[in-house]
Amino acid sequence: MRRLSLFTLFAALFFGHQATAATVAYTLDRAQSSVAFETDFGPDVITGTIPLNSADLSLDFDRVANCSINVDLDVSGAQASFPFAAQALKGPKVLDAKSHPHMTFESTLVETAGDGAAVTGNLTIRGVTRPVTLQAAIYRQRGTEAGDRSRLTVRLTGRVNRSDFGATGWADMVDDEVRIIITARINRKE
Amino acid sequence: MTPLALRNGADQFGLITRLLHWSMAALILVMLALGLRISSMQPGLSNLWLYGLHKTLGLTLLALVVLRVIWHVASPPPLPIGLPGAARMFVRAWHWTLYALMIAVPISGWAGSSASGIDTVFANTITVPPLVAPSERAEFVWFILHEIFAKTLLGMVIVHILAALKREMSGDGTLTRMLRGRV
Repeated sequence: MRRLSLFTLFAALFFGHQATAATVAYTLDRAQSSVAFETDFGPDVITGTIPLNSADLSLDFDRVANCSINVDLDVSGAQASFPFAAQALKGPKVLDAKSHPHMTFESTLVETAGDGAAVTGNLTIRGVTRPVTLQAAIYRQRGTEAGDRSRLTVRLTGRVNRSDFGATGWADMVDDEVRIIITARINRKE
Repeated sequence: MTPLALRNGADQFGLITRLLHWSMAALILVMLALGLRISSMQPGLSNLWLYGLHKTLGLTLLALVVLRVIWHVASPPPLPIGLPGAARMFVRAWHWTLYALMIAVPISGWAGSSASGIDTVFANTITVPPLVAPSERAEFVWFILHEIFAKTLLGMVIVHILAALKREMSGDGTLTRMLRGRV
């Protein structure tokens, strides 16, 4: 994101070289990445995916707090495990893809948590913005050498209550809690 | 006129009217039961197909009632057997109300389905056009109407069946005429 790059630039100017020297920008490998969700439907589970428009990641492996993650999803491309669910999902009672084609997440705070990180940020669904915290873990991709950070897999998981965003359709049939699993395969910007 | 005459006569039900009556009777009984089942079940993947079945049979019934009305304009059915003036008017009004409900029940269901924003699909193949735009308020209102119409139809069908049985037992041939065409 442009605003973020400017911020990084200012930070570099004012706080000197050290603070940002280790921040590495990555681009998304869209074909290899996915945003999956699942929620309970009676005794069953509805699963699905929402395609990514873009994802901007800046990672600092020494100072986790310098990391930032921004994701933009294409709601109208959402898929679900059976046809009616996809239609219901994109319809006005849930994601309302026509009025709100974008779903975005912008990180505001990244902290270490166990082996990974806890990423707090603003999630916007249906034009409603709420803070959420996702658990992040970073993996080296298969076929890369130890210490090679040129290609990585970031896995973000979390839960949201769709009613917090006004996505209340079929509340009597489909659970309020939606589990999110983002798998972003990223390449270091050269 | 033979029992297999297609057209209705002054005192006889033709084959087409009888086929329409009994096929719709069977479908309506199945649909009333299915509708009550759907409205009280916990939806899941295993029973989601029942909604599709309900919509398919509902559209079938709507098509059949339209055919039936057109046919009865072309070939009017006989009057009820042996009733004096006021009773005949009452029975005819009852039958007209049954017809109105046989049209109103599927239309209100179709409209409610349309308002939910989910396609109404016939036999898993043909997506019929939505009757109204998606809206939670419209969905609520149409499905309330659907329930009122369907439960009224259920009550009136029960009375219709009991009345036909009672008149058959008293020997005036009302049920026989709908089965065989004439008394």
